[in-house]
Amino acid sequence: MFITFQLVHEWILTPISHTRLVKNFTRQDFSAQFTASVGGVFWLLLTPIANITIYAFVFSYIFKVRAVEDFGETSFVLFLMIGYLPWFAFAESIGKSTSLLLDKAALITKVKFPVQVLPLSGTLVPYLTHTIGIVLLLIYLAINGYANVMWVILPAILFLQFIFTMGLVALLCSLSVFLRDLQQLVALLISVWFFLTPIIYPINMIQSDVVRSYFLWNPMHSFINLYREIILLGEISVINLQISIVFAATSYLIGGWLFMKIRPAFGDVL
Amino acid sequence: MSDKALKPSVLVQNLAKTFKLYEHPQDRLLELIFRTKRHENYEALQDVSFAIPDGKSVGIIGANGAGKSTLLKLLVGTLQPTSGDIKINGQIAALLALGAGFHPDFTGRKNIHLNASLLGVPAENILQLEREIIEFSELSQFIDRPVKTYSTGMYVRLAFSIATMVRPDILIIDEALSVGDMAFQKKCVTRMNQFRLNAKSMVLCSHSMFHIQELCDFTLWIDQGRVKEFGESEKVVGHYEDFNNKKKSYNSIREDIPEAKSATGQKNNKEIQECRINSLSVCNEKNKEVTEVKPLSTLILKMQIEVLADNINGHFGFAFMRSAEEPISSFLSTNSENINLGECKKGDVITVSLLVEKIAMRNGEFFVLGGLADKSGLLWYETKFSSALSVTSTKGVGPLIMDSTWTIEKQDD
Repeated sequence: MFITFQLVHEWILTPISHTRLVKNFTRQDFSAQFTASVGGVFWLLLTPIANITIYAFVFSYIFKVRAVEDFGETSFVLFLMIGYLPWFAFAESIGKSTSLLLDKAALITKVKFPVQVLPLSGTLVPYLTHTIGIVLLLIYLAINGYANVMWVILPAILFLQFIFTMGLVALLCSLSVFLRDLQQLVALLISVWFFLTPIIYPINMIQSDVVRSYFLWNPMHSFINLYREIILLGEISVINLQISIVFAATSYLIGGWLFMKIRPAFGDVL
Repeated sequence: MSDKALKPSVLVQNLAKTFKLYEHPQDRLLELIFRTKRHENYEALQDVSFAIPDGKSVGIIGANGAGKSTLLKLLVGTLQPTSGDIKINGQIAALLALGAGFHPDFTGRKNIHLNASLLGVPAENILQLEREIIEFSELSQFIDRPVKTYSTGMYVRLAFSIATMVRPDILIIDEALSVGDMAFQKKCVTRMNQFRLNAKSMVLCSHSMFHIQELCDFTLWIDQGRVKEFGESEKVVGHYEDFNNKKKSYNSIREDIPEAKSATGQKNNKEIQECRINSLSVCNEKNKEVTEVKPLSTLILKMQIEVLADNINGHFGFAFMRSAEEPISSFLSTNSENINLGECKKGDVITVSLLVEKIAMRNGEFFVLGGLADKSGLLWYETKFSSALSVTSTKGVGPLIMDSTWTIEKQDD
C-alpha cells in the first residue's frame, strides 16, 4: 500500500521535480516535427484542416446534415471543428504512445533518468501543437461574436482532457513494451473510437434512447460536448463535467501507477 | 584512516542477474496470464561482490559475454538486479553507449543541453559547462551543425566530453576509448587521470589491458558471470593474460604435468634405470627455495642425480615450460664446450646447478624441467618437473619482460 502511494506520488510530482528535463524533451520532440521537413508547421496544421474539409464536404454537402439545433443555429463546419481539433490532439497522443518507449529504447537502457517524463512530454507535444489550431479557431469565433465569459473555463477542460490522455498514454506505452502488437490494435481502436464519439454527427441523430445513454459514458464525448456548450452556448452541463473529472482522475492515476510499477522492467525487455 | 577513506563509493554484495529468455515475445504475456513457465533462465551474473573504495578506480575485464556490460547496466541502474545489493554513494555519470541520448537532427549544442539535463546538471552551471565541453571536444566549428553530420570520432568526442564534464562522483565508461584518434585518446586518458587525482571513482570496462593498468587501481575479472579475481590491476591483468595464453594451447596444464613429488611412481619402460633424479629445486640468489618469481630476478636451478648404472656419460638440461608440451626456454649443457663430466659409475651422486639471470617472464605460471641425457643429447635417461612457479605480475602487457635501458637525446639545432 505504501509503495503504491509512493509510486503514484512520484508520478504526480514528475512535472515539478523534473521540470527542465520535461521542458527539454518536449522542446526537442516539438521542434523535431519540423526540423526534418521543409513544410514544417504547415504539415502539422494541414492534416486536421484537410480532414475537416473532407468531413464537412461529405456530411454537410452530400449527406446534408443540418446545423444542430441544440447548439443554436451553428453551421455544421464550426460544430465539427470544435469537436475535431481537441479529438485530434487526443488521437495523435494515443497513436504515438505505442512507439514512445520503443523509439527511445537506446536511451532507456543506457542512461538512468526518470523515464516517466516520456509519457508526459509525449502527450504535451501533440497537445501543444493542436492548441495552436484551437486558438486560431477561437480567435475566428471571437471575431464573429461568439465570445462569452464561460470561455475562461476552456483551459481547465482542455487540461482535464490532457490528464485523461496522459494516463492512457502511460498505460499504453508501458504495455506496448511487452506486447508489440498493441501498435496495430491501438491504431484500429482509435478509428473505432472516433466514429463512436459524436464528432462528425450530433448525438441526437442517434434515435434509440438506450444506445444514446451508452454513448454518454464515452469520456471523449463529455469533453467535446463541454467545448461545444461553452464555446457556442456559454453554458455547461454538470453531468458532462462530472464524467470528465472522474475519467481524467482515474485514467491519470491508474495509468501512472501501472507505468511506475512496470518501469523497473523496461531495461530487461527493451 | 578517516571515515571518508573507509566508506566505499560502490558496494556490491552477492549480486545476481538472471534474464528470462522467451522464444516468442507473446510468451511473456501468456506466462503472466496463465502462470505457466514459458522461459529459460540465463544467469548473466552470479554472486558478484566487490567494493570500490572512495576515490579509487576499478577496471572490469573478461571475455565477450562474460557479463561485463550487464554489470555496468546494473551499476548505472538501467537494469534491476535479480538478487543482491548495490549501494552507491554519489552521483553517477555513465558512458555506456556512444551518444545514447543524442538526437541526430539537432545541433551539438542542443544535444549538450539535453544530455546535461538527462545527467541532472543544475541549470545555473549549464552555460559554463557548454563552453568547457565545446573546448574539450574541439568541436567548436561543428557545434552548431546537426550531430548526424558528425563522424563517429566526433560523436564520441562529444559524448565523452559531456560525460566527464558534468563532474560526477562516479564515472562509468564502457569501451569508449577504442574509438577516436590517438590524440583524443590521449586527452581522454589525461582527463580520466585528472578525474582520479580529484579522488573521484571510476569504473572502466575495456579490452585494452594497457588502459586498465594505466587507469585503474583495482581490476575485477569476470568469467562466465562470476568474479574470477578482484585485486590490484597489475596482478589481475597478469593472471588474465596468462589465462588467455593458456587457452590457446590445446592441453590444460594441470593434467599434463606428472606429479612432481612422486619420483618413484614414474612410468619407466626401461628394464634398467640408468639414473634417478633425487631432487629438483628452484632457488633465488640467496639459495632459498621459491615458488614465486619476480620478473628480471635471478634463479638458481638445482638438480641432484643418482647414477644407477655404470658407463653413463651424460649431459644435463633444464627448461622452463608453460605446460608439458610448451617450452618457454631451454638450457643444455651440450651447448657449452667447457663442461665435460666424463664417465660416471654406479652410485655416483651428481649435483648440478644452473644460474639463470633476469627472468624474462612477465606473468603466469611455469614449471622447471630438469633432465639427464646421453652424450648425443637425443636420449633422455630421466626427466623431472618441478612444482608450479608463479610469476609476480608487473605493470605492462605481453608475456615477456626484458631488461632495458632508455636513452633519450634531444637534438638542438
